[in-house]
Amino acid sequence: MKTVEVGAELPPLTVTFRRDDLVRYAGASGDFNPIHWSDRMASALGLPGVIAHGMLTMASAIRVVTDWLDDPADLVEYGVRFTKPVVVPDDDKGANVTFSAKVDKVAEGLAEIDITAVAGEEKVLGRARAVVRVQ
Amino acid sequence: MTIDATMVGRSYAAAESYQVGREKIREFADAIGDPNPAYRGDDAIAPPTFAFVVSSRALEELLNDEELGLRLDRIVHGAQKFAYTRPIKAGDEIAATATITTVRKAGDVEVIMYDTALTTVDGEPIATATSTLSHNRAGA
Repeated sequence: MKTVEVGAELPPLTVTFRRDDLVRYAGASGDFNPIHWSDRMASALGLPGVIAHGMLTMASAIRVVTDWLDDPADLVEYGVRFTKPVVVPDDDKGANVTFSAKVDKVAEGLAEIDITAVAGEEKVLGRARAVVRVQ
Repeated sequence: MTIDATMVGRSYAAAESYQVGREKIREFADAIGDPNPAYRGDDAIAPPTFAFVVSSRALEELLNDEELGLRLDRIVHGAQKFAYTRPIKAGDEIAATATITTVRKAGDVEVIMYDTALTTVDGEPIATATSTLSHNRAGA
């Protein structure tokens, strides 16, 4: 198990979502909502374009914590708010999302970690927080 | 058809248990681009958010409740939280039950919170998923 102090920053992570990543996530998760693969359906609902699954962003964000942990089984709690959609263009560049994390509290064998997720200039997750077992 | 606070407490059990296989865990880990070795092999555990995939079987039942009259294409996922007793692992056979905990209305927009309890079919707790959905009934 990790030892950690309040204020410690975890190594950041940048991921790129391309259209094929969204199709792959749709298949693996069973979430086939067309706003995640059809420009026509996304714009019919007033979205600026096809957007990433919120759960895919959430899955990527926690990697900042689980990559750092010795064992991902030490995660005891994880929550986010989906504040802004991540628009994924139909090109080779895709959309970059950068995740960072900082330890906010350590007490009684648990550390509370705040996670930040930024796409472009915007925070795409709010109140993203993980609780992990530490020494 | 509408939704109100009297619906708090309604429970929806997934029609069938979910049998977790190591290849499904690998497929999911690949799909989220996560190379962590803990998610591969005979003793694989599932990535944390895989709990949502298992819990969605109970959400399907909630969405089938005609008295609620919710439509998937009018729903936005507002927030998601998980509390883990232990990770999901290959070989688990999981029962999922969703229970509505909060209903709030602001005009046409309804905010529904529900907890999905994930346990083994023998009743051993695994995790609880807490979901917040916004449903827009305008023009429905």
